Amino acid sequence: MVDNNKFYIKDLNLYYDTLRALKDVNLQIKSNKVTAFIGPSGCGKSTLIRCLNRMNDLIEGVKINGLVAIDNTDIYGDIDVITLRTKVGMVFQKPNPFPMSCYDNIAYGPRCQGVKSKTDIDAIVEKSLKQAALWDEVKDRLNKSALGLSGGQQQRLCIARAIAMEPEVILMDEPTSALDPIATAKIEELIENLKKSYTIVIVTHSMQQAARISDNTAFFLSGEIIESDTTSNIFTNPINKKTEDYITGRFG
Amino acid sequence: MNLTKNNRTDKNRKETFFKYLFLFCAFVAVISVFAITFFVFARGLKPFMPWNDSGYSLIDFLSGVEWRPGSDKFGILYMIIGSLLATIGAITIGVPIGLFTAVFIAELAPKKIANIVRPAVELLAGIPSILYGVFGLGMIVKILTKYSPNAQGQSLLATILVLTIMILPTVITMSETAIRAVPSCYRDGSLALGASKIQTVFKVIIPAAKSGIFAGVVLGIGRAIGETMAVMLVSGNPIAGIPTSLWDRVRPLTTNIALEMGYASGTHQDLLFSTGVVLFIFIMIINLALNKLVHNKIK
Amino acid sequence: MRKAKDYLAKILIYLSSFITVGVLLAIIAYIFINGIGLINWSFFTNEYNDKTYYLQFEANKLQLSDNSYKDNIPYTRNVINNDSEPLYIEELGGAIIESKKGSDIEFIISYVEKSSSMLEAKDRRGEIVGIKEGYIIRSINGENIEDKNLEEISNIVGDIQGNIELKVTNPGNGVFTNIITTLYMILLSLSIATPIGILAAIYLVEYARPGKLVSTIRFATESLAGIPSIIYGLFGMAFFVVFLKFSLSLLAGALTISIILLPVIIRSTEEALKAVPDSYREASYGLGATKLQTISKIIIPSAMPGILVAVILSIGRIIGESAALLLTAGTVSKIPENLFSSGGTLTVQAYYVAKEEANIEMACAIGIVVILLIIILNLIAKLISKIFNKANY
Repeated sequence: MVDNNKFYIKDLNLYYDTLRALKDVNLQIKSNKVTAFIGPSGCGKSTLIRCLNRMNDLIEGVKINGLVAIDNTDIYGDIDVITLRTKVGMVFQKPNPFPMSCYDNIAYGPRCQGVKSKTDIDAIVEKSLKQAALWDEVKDRLNKSALGLSGGQQQRLCIARAIAMEPEVILMDEPTSALDPIATAKIEELIENLKKSYTIVIVTHSMQQAARISDNTAFFLSGEIIESDTTSNIFTNPINKKTEDYITGRFG
Repeated sequence: MNLTKNNRTDKNRKETFFKYLFLFCAFVAVISVFAITFFVFARGLKPFMPWNDSGYSLIDFLSGVEWRPGSDKFGILYMIIGSLLATIGAITIGVPIGLFTAVFIAELAPKKIANIVRPAVELLAGIPSILYGVFGLGMIVKILTKYSPNAQGQSLLATILVLTIMILPTVITMSETAIRAVPSCYRDGSLALGASKIQTVFKVIIPAAKSGIFAGVVLGIGRAIGETMAVMLVSGNPIAGIPTSLWDRVRPLTTNIALEMGYASGTHQDLLFSTGVVLFIFIMIINLALNKLVHNKIK
Repeated sequence: MRKAKDYLAKILIYLSSFITVGVLLAIIAYIFINGIGLINWSFFTNEYNDKTYYLQFEANKLQLSDNSYKDNIPYTRNVINNDSEPLYIEELGGAIIESKKGSDIEFIISYVEKSSSMLEAKDRRGEIVGIKEGYIIRSINGENIEDKNLEEISNIVGDIQGNIELKVTNPGNGVFTNIITTLYMILLSLSIATPIGILAAIYLVEYARPGKLVSTIRFATESLAGIPSIIYGLFGMAFFVVFLKFSLSLLAGALTISIILLPVIIRSTEEALKAVPDSYREASYGLGATKLQTISKIIIPSAMPGILVAVILSIGRIIGESAALLLTAGTVSKIPENLFSSGGTLTVQAYYVAKEEANIEMACAIGIVVILLIIILNLIAKLISKIFNKANY
C-alpha cells in the first residue's frame, strides 16, 4: 500500500442478492485530491462510493467481498461504523437538509457526538459555513428553516453540515445534478477550495464537470472500472477503446 | 484513523436496550392476542370439561332453544340463529346501499357535494354505538310498533335496520378507497370505447375494485355480528324462541353476554363466557373463510 | 335498453346516497331534539343522583318588575302541570311551579331572582349551598308541603318572619361525575397505549426485517383490530377484574381500552413514520448518527403530526366505547377516588339511563355532548394534518 493513498480498494465485489453490481474493482484514491467517477447510468459509480462509508449496509440483501481500506484499515473488518461515517462524510444528489433551522442542521452531527456547549457549537457552525462559502448568505437567518433556502444554498448547507464533523474525506454523489448552472459553478469552485483540506470523491454524470474539477478519474462500465488515471490522461490519451468511445460521446 | 469498536460504551448499551424495548412493545400485541384467547376460552370451556361437576352439557348448550338460568336451562341455538339472521339481513341491505353511495361519492357526485357527503359518512362512523341504539329505540321501534302484528317494535327487523345503519360507514369508506384506487386508464379505456359512465362503473371499475370492496364487506360482517350496545335496546331479548319472522324478537349472542354479566355468577357466568367463545369462533370462521375466498379469487 | 338500465342504476345510486345522508341527519336530529331540553349549566355540574339538603336563608322582600319569570320552566322528569302557572313569592325571591309525577305533585323552583338570598342559603353546618332553579321543595320550616297547593304555600311562607328553612332536593340529572370519569379514562388509557403503540411502530418500521417475527406481529395486530368490544369486555373482566383482582375499576377499564387502541395507534404511527423521507435517514446516518439518534432527533419529530392525529382519533374511540367498559369499569355515577374505584363514563351512562330508566331524553342529552366532542376532535385532527402537510415536505 502506497503512502499518499487515502483509500485502497482491492478485488471488490458487491452483490444485491444475486445481481453482481461491482466486479473485481481495484482502485487507489489519493489523499487531498479530487477523484471523479464517470460512466453511464447504473454501472456502479454510486454503488462504489457508498461502499466507502458503508452506506450500503442500510440496504437489504447486500453482500460484499474484497478489501476496502482507509489509511491501511479494512473498513469492512470489526470497526466502529459510526466513527467511520464521522470521518468520511457524504453529500447526496438531491439536497436533503433536515426540517430544522440552518443552525440546527449544522449542529446536528456535533451534537450527536456529544458536543454540548453553545459556544463550541456556535464556532463550529460559523467555521463550517465559511468553509462552504455560505456564511455571508445565511448568517442573518441562522435560526430560520433550512427548507427556505434555494437548491444551491441547500446543497452548500449539506456540504457545511458534512464539514462540521471535520471529516478527512468528503464523498459527493452527483452533488450538482439537481442544481442550475450558476449554483453548480459555485459548488465546483467550493470543491476546488475544499480539496486543500479534504480528500474528495465525486460521482458525476457530466464528463465536462469531471474534466473541470478532478485530479484523477475512474471510468465505470457495467460494474467494472475500465480505466483509471489522472484526469488529463483519461481525457486526452485514454488507453482503452471503450473509454475513448464514452469520452467522445459515441455512447452514454 | 482509529476505528476500533467499543461495545461496552454507554452509547452502545443504550442502543441495544432501546432496540429490545421496541421489540418488546411490538410483541405486546402478540401477547395480548394470546391472553385474550386464553382467558376467554379458559372460562368459556370450563363448564363443558368432563371433570367439572357443576358443568353443563355442550350439546344442550349449542342446541337448546331457551335460556332460563333459574331452571338451569342454557341453550343458545336460538341466539346463534338470531345473530346470523340479523347479520345476513344487515349485509343484504347495507352492502348495496353502501356500495352505491361509495360509487356516488367517488364517481358521480360533483366535488362540492362529495365534500359534504364524505364528512357525513365519517361522522356517522364516529357516533358511539349506544346512540344508534337510542335512535333505534326512540324512532325505529316506535314506527315499527304501529305495523307489527305483535304490537311490539323490538324485533329482528329493528335489529337488522340498526345494524344496517352501523355498517354503512365501514362499507362506504372501504369501497370508496378501493374505487378511487382503480387506475384512471381503465376508466379512460372504457369510456373511449363508447361505454357510458354507468356501464364503466359497473362493468370495469367495480370488478377492478372488488378486493377492497370485499374487505369492506368482511369488516362490516364482523361489526354486525359483534355489535352489542346498539342492538341491546332494539332486539327484544326474549328468553326463548327461534325467530321465524321479521317481527319476532331476537336475542343476539352479544346481548346475552352484556345483559346478564352484571349479576351472573358461577356456572351461569361461565356460560356467558361460553357464549363469547361461540361468538369468537364464528368471527374467526367468517374471517378465515372470506379471506380464503379472496385469495382464491385473486389467484 | 341501455339507457333505461343506466337510468335505473343512476336512480339507485342517488337513492342510496340520499338514504345514507338522510339516516345521518335523522339520527343527529333525533338526538338533538330529544336531548337539547336538558342541556343547561346544571346538566354539566350536577351529579346524577339526587341530593337533599336543609337550607336556611333570610326572608326576602323582592318585588319583580315584570312577569317574564313565567316563561322560565326548568327541566323535570315529570310533567309540568299545564293548568297552573308558576307562582312568584316575594319572601323567597323566586317562583315555584307544580310538577306532576303520576298522582304525586312536586313543587319545583322555576325561577330565582339574582339578588335573592336563596342563592346564598346555608346548610345546617353553615356552609353555603344555595337554592337554585330546578330544586324540589319538600318542606318549609319543618312543615311538609306535599299535599298543599301553591296558594297555601304562598301563605305559609308569607307568615314567616326572619329565617326560612327549606328542605330541598337537588334532582341531580347531571353528568358531572361521568365527565370526570371519562377524562380519567382518556388520560389513563392514552398514557398506557400511546407509548407502547409508538414504540411498537418504531420497531416495525425502523428495525424489523421481513420474516416470521414481523409477520406474526402484524397478524396479531390485525386480529386485535377485528375483535368485537364485548369480547374485550369479557377478557377485561376475566383477567383484570377477576384474575388480577382489580375488581370493577378505572384501572381495569383503562387497561382493556389500551389493548383496543393498540392496533389503531400502531397502524397510524407506522404510516406517519413511513411518510418521513428516506433522504433524512440517509443524511443522518451519513453524518455518523446512531439509529437511536436518528429516530429520536429526526424521524419522530417529523412524524409527530401524524402521531398526534392518531392520538386525537383515539380519544374519540375512548369516548365512544361502552361495551368493554360496561364489564370492566362499571356504571357507578360517582367521582372516582382512585384507580381502583369503579365509574361510568359518559357513553356507559347513556346506556344505563336508556336501558334501566327508559330516560331517552337524558341519553340524548349525553349523546349531544359526545357527538359534539367527536366533531371537535375530528376537526382538530384534520386541521393538524392540513397545517403540517403544508409546512414540511
